[in-house]
Amino acid sequence: MSDPAFLGLAEAAELIRAKKLSPVEYAQALFARIERRDAAYNCFIALTPERALKSARDAETEIMAGRWRGPLHGIPYALKDIIDVAGLPTTAHSKILADNVAQQDAPAAARMVAAGGVLLGKLATHEFAIGGPSFDLPWPPARNPWNRNCIPGGSTSGGAAGLAAGFFPATLGSDTGGSIRNPASFCGITGMKPTYGRVSRRGVVPLAFSLDHVGPLTRNVRDNALLLQVIAGHDPQDPASADRPVPDYAADLDRGVKGLKVGVIRHFYAQDLKRGAPEQVAAIETAVTMLADRGARISEIALPPLADFNACGQVILAAEAYSVHEAWLKERPQDYGARGRERLLAGATLRVADYLRATRWRRTLCEAAAAAFKDIDVAITATSVDPACRFDDTATLAAIYGRQVLMPFNVTGQPALSVPAGFSKDGLPLSVQFVGHPFAEATVYRVAQAYEAASGWADRHPPDLAV
Amino acid sequence: MADDPKTAELRGAARALGLDRLTDEHLGQFERAMAAMQRHLQRLPRDLPPAQEPAMIFCAMAAFE
Repeated sequence: MSDPAFLGLAEAAELIRAKKLSPVEYAQALFARIERRDAAYNCFIALTPERALKSARDAETEIMAGRWRGPLHGIPYALKDIIDVAGLPTTAHSKILADNVAQQDAPAAARMVAAGGVLLGKLATHEFAIGGPSFDLPWPPARNPWNRNCIPGGSTSGGAAGLAAGFFPATLGSDTGGSIRNPASFCGITGMKPTYGRVSRRGVVPLAFSLDHVGPLTRNVRDNALLLQVIAGHDPQDPASADRPVPDYAADLDRGVKGLKVGVIRHFYAQDLKRGAPEQVAAIETAVTMLADRGARISEIALPPLADFNACGQVILAAEAYSVHEAWLKERPQDYGARGRERLLAGATLRVADYLRATRWRRTLCEAAAAAFKDIDVAITATSVDPACRFDDTATLAAIYGRQVLMPFNVTGQPALSVPAGFSKDGLPLSVQFVGHPFAEATVYRVAQAYEAASGWADRHPPDLAV
Repeated sequence: MADDPKTAELRGAARALGLDRLTDEHLGQFERAMAAMQRHLQRLPRDLPPAQEPAMIFCAMAAFE
């Protein structure tokens, strides 16, 4: 068997279905790679080899008997350690939950099991999906495979880094203010924040109830569509879950963009955020040109200023997160890392009226976004205006999470996908973000697939990890 | 040793919120967190129409369905 480290989900699934790739050998090869390399990247908090090899053997037996369940059958994956898997710890990368063992699978995790996936382990995250990168937690922070002195972004840090490192082809993350798309951007992989309510949040440690989303991260668009297909669907026990049909996300992937209306939200990265890396801005403009060259109808659209979305979202996030963490912050403040504690204390002094003012404003901002999207199919904008920075560049690190175009679509709940868009002069990944109408993930994937095919960026891997 | 006035003020504010286990280091974080949140709060509009509902609304039937 050749090295399967960078096999995509779809590619591996075809090989497994054709009985040319053994799920057992695939999982063993990835465990060997993780064993050899993860000490440099800290992607994993816990490995689950016994469970994985049993799942892989079961998958192999079923597939050899002609019972292929679908594209995830026999495919290795890992989960951000805020997602419950029965019998395994869910630590949220925090001392606070170090002894917390999940009693049942989160529905998203259960869907991965039912689809025949092979869980390799649980992944590093920013503490409680908000506090990081931090060196004062029970586990070290994940590092960026493109340059291990750089942050991988977060909070789905281990997931994005592990994909870029070739440790697995699929993972799930969460996104409350960009925690799927930011690390996807910094690690050069593909991350989808689906529509709010599309994927169950039950069994996932909450950060902010009305902003939390669960979504897939992969190394390319097709894999991402296949993975969303597995985890999307109604959960009657998640009060925000949408009871709507789940379309075939891969059906229209290769239809191209001819005739589709693409709106450029240029003011987010060219006006609202100052002094973005010129190469990042150029990468977005190149993407726009590529889509135009392939027949997309391009226009420019305007939403309210980015700072409005950030202010609204951050007030809501702080208030809802404090309601989750208040008791721990009162009883065990010393058990948080410094970054997490500071972020979570932000909600302590908020007044009820402030929270409600933000939620009332949210309605206005959503209506403005809906109006801006009225005449387009998909929007294109930045994910981040900067590539990843070094851990020891404290000034940039303090500012970089504020220089993202992420919160608007947590506030509106629209689907938003970050995909690779080239590299900085220092060899760090750049990105572009596609945004759709609520529940129109399939159209987002279609446009992103056209861009990915034209650009070829998804085929690149970190030079030190290419084999 | 007694707190300096600023630390004493922060400690008082934290205690009023039930956060009476914050260390001096934590109080510094608390201060920065409040300052960051103030910047966001200043951006919230003050002229929303009185009848404008929040984005997230209570639905009476939801729990019964």
